[in-house]
Amino acid sequence: MTISAKSISLELGGKKILNNISMDVRPGEILSIIGPNGAGKTSLLNVLSGNIKSHNGNVSYNNTPLESISIQERAYIRSVMSQFQSIAFDYSVEDILQMGWLDHSHKDIKEDLSAFQNQVIKECDMENLIHQKFNTLSGGEQRRVHFARTLLQLWQPANTKDQNYLLLDEPFSNLDLVHKVKMMESIKAKASSGTGILMILHDLNLAYAFSDKILLLKNGRVIEQGETKKMLSAKLLARAYETFISIDENPINIRYY
Amino acid sequence: MESIRKLSFQTSQFFSFVSKNQIFLMSLLFMSMISFSLLAITFGSYGLSIVDFLLGKTSEIQNTVLTEIRLPRVILSGLAGASLGISGAALQGLFRNPLADPGLIGVSAGAALGATLMIVLGGDIFSQYSLGVFFIPLAAIAGSSLVILMLYFMTKGFGYEGVTYMLLVGIAINAIAGVGIGILTYISSDSELRSLTFWTMGSFGGVTWPLLIPVILIIALAIIIMIPCSRQLDLLQLGEPEAFRLGVDVQKLKYTIILTCAASVGASVALSGMIGFVGLIVPHLTRLLGGVNHNYVLPGSALMGAALMIIADLIARVIIQPAELPIGLITSAIGSPFFLWLIFKIKKL
Repeated sequence: MTISAKSISLELGGKKILNNISMDVRPGEILSIIGPNGAGKTSLLNVLSGNIKSHNGNVSYNNTPLESISIQERAYIRSVMSQFQSIAFDYSVEDILQMGWLDHSHKDIKEDLSAFQNQVIKECDMENLIHQKFNTLSGGEQRRVHFARTLLQLWQPANTKDQNYLLLDEPFSNLDLVHKVKMMESIKAKASSGTGILMILHDLNLAYAFSDKILLLKNGRVIEQGETKKMLSAKLLARAYETFISIDENPINIRYY
Repeated sequence: MESIRKLSFQTSQFFSFVSKNQIFLMSLLFMSMISFSLLAITFGSYGLSIVDFLLGKTSEIQNTVLTEIRLPRVILSGLAGASLGISGAALQGLFRNPLADPGLIGVSAGAALGATLMIVLGGDIFSQYSLGVFFIPLAAIAGSSLVILMLYFMTKGFGYEGVTYMLLVGIAINAIAGVGIGILTYISSDSELRSLTFWTMGSFGGVTWPLLIPVILIIALAIIIMIPCSRQLDLLQLGEPEAFRLGVDVQKLKYTIILTCAASVGASVALSGMIGFVGLIVPHLTRLLGGVNHNYVLPGSALMGAALMIIADLIARVIIQPAELPIGLITSAIGSPFFLWLIFKIKKL
């Protein structure tokens, strides 16, 4: 039961974007992908989510090849939060949130779903946003709404327990410190309930404070991947980012979780 | 996967995202459409009373005017309004662009060019077959499909960033079609082609049942296919990759919307010519009244388009009796300032 990628390669416009990448996202585990700009992090996420088809290698979810899972079924197995485009029409925040309601029209589950929505609204601190127009929100607030939407997408009926996954591209960008911490708590909670989590992060402090495993990507290749503790090496990071990096103890000692 | 779980847009309950307020608005629009129709049948340069007709008190001439002239005309104006309104709404949703109007972006012009080409160059062919009445709408549909497909590939499904580019492409297509229609009008005999004014300004006059029936079928079918796509159009507003991740088969959705819009616009243009700005104004008014979700905007735009077009045509017929204003003149007179206001409002061009 994993998302498993085997020897993924991807070429776009004659340029090699990903080169022979193999990796797993396991249930209940938080895996962070780090690496310099243009390393191929977002492309890798797009291949895993099925948005882009890789040229070589294969992706499977819970031992089923991605190609043999229908587009509709995939929506139940993985939910994705990525970088967003602007929205042309004046949807309310609630409209956007409910776009994550996959099977809204079923009468028997509508109540459960509403209850879950209220829980998510509370968890993401959105009570005062919910009736506003989405386009009037700040960048950070919009991201929180999208995050809440991806949480709603992972909802399952009471007696179902299908293995699902949450893929996040830079979830914390534009967020203030308080909401960063809150979102992290949500992600942690999701992981401990069994959801497998993959995140792309630029903030190395966050990545190391927060992940079970780290994958370091550069020029479309995996430089190293493994347990977070093993990955904490200034030498390794300096090689990837081609700059001087030192690892210190955090003097203020903020714990993120 | 559990069988109980089915994505909301795959079920028939696509109205589950419509609020009570929106249902009320749609019923109101429906009732205005019906009452405007009754008004439009009654008034005109030849006085008629529906009550008399139903009681059988009308003369034979009055009956003929009502069933052969007035009624088809009212039905055509309603259909044209509905098809332009819903296509405008669907195209705006598909391109994620509030300025996508079948007239502005050249879709209507493509349809008009297709229709004139068929009439002038294929005039002898289509009169020989029993299904000949379908040929003109089909040629118009081919023209409008070509334009939408071309736009789609030229703007690569742009979304919001491509607003200016899309309008520029529309100007070019409108110009090309204008030249084509102009030349065809010039070389055709009077009997082959209606006047250039008809194609550029539109008119609902002179329509007959044999021409109208295929158009009714095509537009009804297009609307029936289009409305269940509403929820997917909502999800598409998050961007194509995002809609795909929420279970929307984006490719299939695109082609469904492109084909149904082309079919309904093409069919209506084939009989009524190019009527500008309806596809722009109607969806915006509908959104202003009741919200932006497509489960409401698509059917609402169809109803409002029909209602407005029926009343606009009535005004066009009675305002300078016994002469008649081109309907496109009225819609453009209202639509062009509205267009300017819209550009001013969104400013993101």
